[in-house]
Amino acid sequence: MFKLRSLFFSSLMFILIFSATSTFGKSIPSVIKIGTLYASTGPFAKASESQFKGLKFWVHNVNSKGGVFVKAFKKKIPIKLVAYNDQSSTATAAAMYNQLITQDHANILVADFGSVLTSVAVPLAKEHRRLLFDVTGTGAKFFTPDNPYVVLTSLPTSGRWPYTLADFIIKHKINKIAIIYSSNDFDQSQAITLHNKLRKAGVDIVYYNAVPSSTSNYAVLLHSIKAKNPNAVIEFGYPNNDIAFLQNLGSSGLKFNMVFTVFPGQLFKLLKSNVGEQGLAYTYTYPTPPLLRYNKVNLGVGIDEFELAFKAYSGKSPNFLNVAGYNVGLIIKKTLETANRYNQLSFRRAIGKFSGKVFTLNGLFMVNKKGAQIGEILPIAQFVMKDSKLKMNIVYPEKMKTADAVYPAP
Amino acid sequence: MLKKRIGSFGIILIIALIFIFLPFVYNNQSFLFNMMLYIALAEGLNIIYGFTGYLPFGYVGFFGAGAYSASLAILFLHFPPLLSIFIGGAGAFLVGIILMPLLKLSGAYFAIANLAASQALYYIVANPNLESITHGPYGISLASIYNPHASYYTMLAVLVLSMIIVLFIRTSNFGLSLLAIKEDHITASLAGVNVAKARAIAWGLSAFVAGLSGACFAWYVSVFYPGTVFSLNISVIVIVFALFGGIGTIAGPLVGALILYSFYNFIGISAPEYFQLLYGILIIVLVLFLPDGITSILQKRKIYVP
Repeated sequence: MFKLRSLFFSSLMFILIFSATSTFGKSIPSVIKIGTLYASTGPFAKASESQFKGLKFWVHNVNSKGGVFVKAFKKKIPIKLVAYNDQSSTATAAAMYNQLITQDHANILVADFGSVLTSVAVPLAKEHRRLLFDVTGTGAKFFTPDNPYVVLTSLPTSGRWPYTLADFIIKHKINKIAIIYSSNDFDQSQAITLHNKLRKAGVDIVYYNAVPSSTSNYAVLLHSIKAKNPNAVIEFGYPNNDIAFLQNLGSSGLKFNMVFTVFPGQLFKLLKSNVGEQGLAYTYTYPTPPLLRYNKVNLGVGIDEFELAFKAYSGKSPNFLNVAGYNVGLIIKKTLETANRYNQLSFRRAIGKFSGKVFTLNGLFMVNKKGAQIGEILPIAQFVMKDSKLKMNIVYPEKMKTADAVYPAP
Repeated sequence: MLKKRIGSFGIILIIALIFIFLPFVYNNQSFLFNMMLYIALAEGLNIIYGFTGYLPFGYVGFFGAGAYSASLAILFLHFPPLLSIFIGGAGAFLVGIILMPLLKLSGAYFAIANLAASQALYYIVANPNLESITHGPYGISLASIYNPHASYYTMLAVLVLSMIIVLFIRTSNFGLSLLAIKEDHITASLAGVNVAKARAIAWGLSAFVAGLSGACFAWYVSVFYPGTVFSLNISVIVIVFALFGGIGTIAGPLVGALILYSFYNFIGISAPEYFQLLYGILIIVLVLFLPDGITSILQKRKIYVP
């Protein structure tokens, strides 16, 4: 009897010790798996690859220092990046996001570039209760009160983009406005915000029309706008729209006191090479890093240091999407450093804790309860010619201003 | 004939059982869903292309019409998802009826006209002025009824239905009429086949299958844009899958979609940087050495392919 009892207790002890050690061993992962997608072909390839390169650069940096500090385990753990090519296809992206969640068991899920490729990740992340770090998918319908599993990191939701633009127009008493926008989620939400804010302030909107996102000729539209005699023309579009609009404007010989487009501030080199310096001169845009120089940061490095390091790493100067990809890495790092427990809802709670207190090379990181980015503001910049060279001045808001706006444009 | 039907039913049953139980073993449900979707679409394309020889390059138009019909039934009429899936099929069928005059064309003219029709449909749906009806280019959100498991098994039912339709055509006099039309429609007409009616039925069934598939896709992904469901890539992929396996059979599109979609994902996961190269090589090999598809290997040896 005694023998049987001692055998029972020793077996029990063995099981307890074994299970305790095995659980302990399992609970600290040897690597933190970050799962993401990129597109090497298709309409989103250029932007997606830039964003992915920024994230890869962050992983490279972190791993060269031994990994990221995970508060839940009180130790540094290296990052393993698992990335698949979705070819810009939403159906492929859905299968690949699912692969990352169910087969690779990625601890952190990072979305591909833009709203279209992010759209399929949002319901999947919610279904599998996995926090989705949405880098540039700014579509407002992703952020709902019942979904705690999405956080937008590197751009504000598109409806917030024109806040400063509206203020600028109102403050400068520019009272006859034409708004032309491409018919897609991203541009429509900007147009609606601007339209409502200006109308509320009593500004006369003399032209307000949508055109298909595939529009590549604005010549007739520009003459229709001119016939309304506006003081400012605001064009919200994708890069191909902005390029076509500015090219047509240059060749038409038409002049407006103020012309605003979205992407020269994000993809300056692309726009400059297609439109030329003269085509951009005295137009306005939203400047983003690296055109916007945030060096006083409390997380990661400032833009000067980043630019040097990124150039040494990739051989190329960074663009905005490289910054956005790097920035999501910084937010992931801060999340892991802050979360008390190693699970998805703790990650989300941790983000809530440091939201509004973190300033990176991309600006203030602050999200609302739905996970939408509301911290970063997009100031207004104007390109001017100085000594026959194109120079960018920030003209609004006052606290960020580097020069007065040249209005009306010469 | 009975033996052939039983054999074909066996294949359909096996496929259904595989997709019922596979999610318990392999939990990348999106991959399995897409696999079923492409098989169903390849079978749907097979109905019109495999049996009548009409190659619809704009087949995606029916897929998109189905996705939008079902979504609008859910959003505006508050129909339950299953009824809305049927509405999706019916919507595509209706588009098929509207586009029926295209069947008067043949060969490349039909293919191009069909492609143009699908693009016209896309631009109508994506028109910002129809925002209050179709949500224009700003996309549809069905987040309130998102249910990946229910939509998965509904897709399975659509897959089974598509295969049963092909089985019926393959083993019936109606199928023989279609094959006669494919060979020579004048001779078929002289032999007493009602050419216009037979073609119209095949066209409508093909559209119906694509519409049901599009509706299931809309339910499964829950957030989509017009460009997603009217993407010409879908037409191209489905045509390649059907041709790879071999048209005019149930097994051909099934084998084509199973092999090529698996390969597509395998390369996408294991060697994404070589995706275009490897996929391109595979298609070139197919065109050069197996122009009638994989199942033609068996058919050349006089082995019956269901």
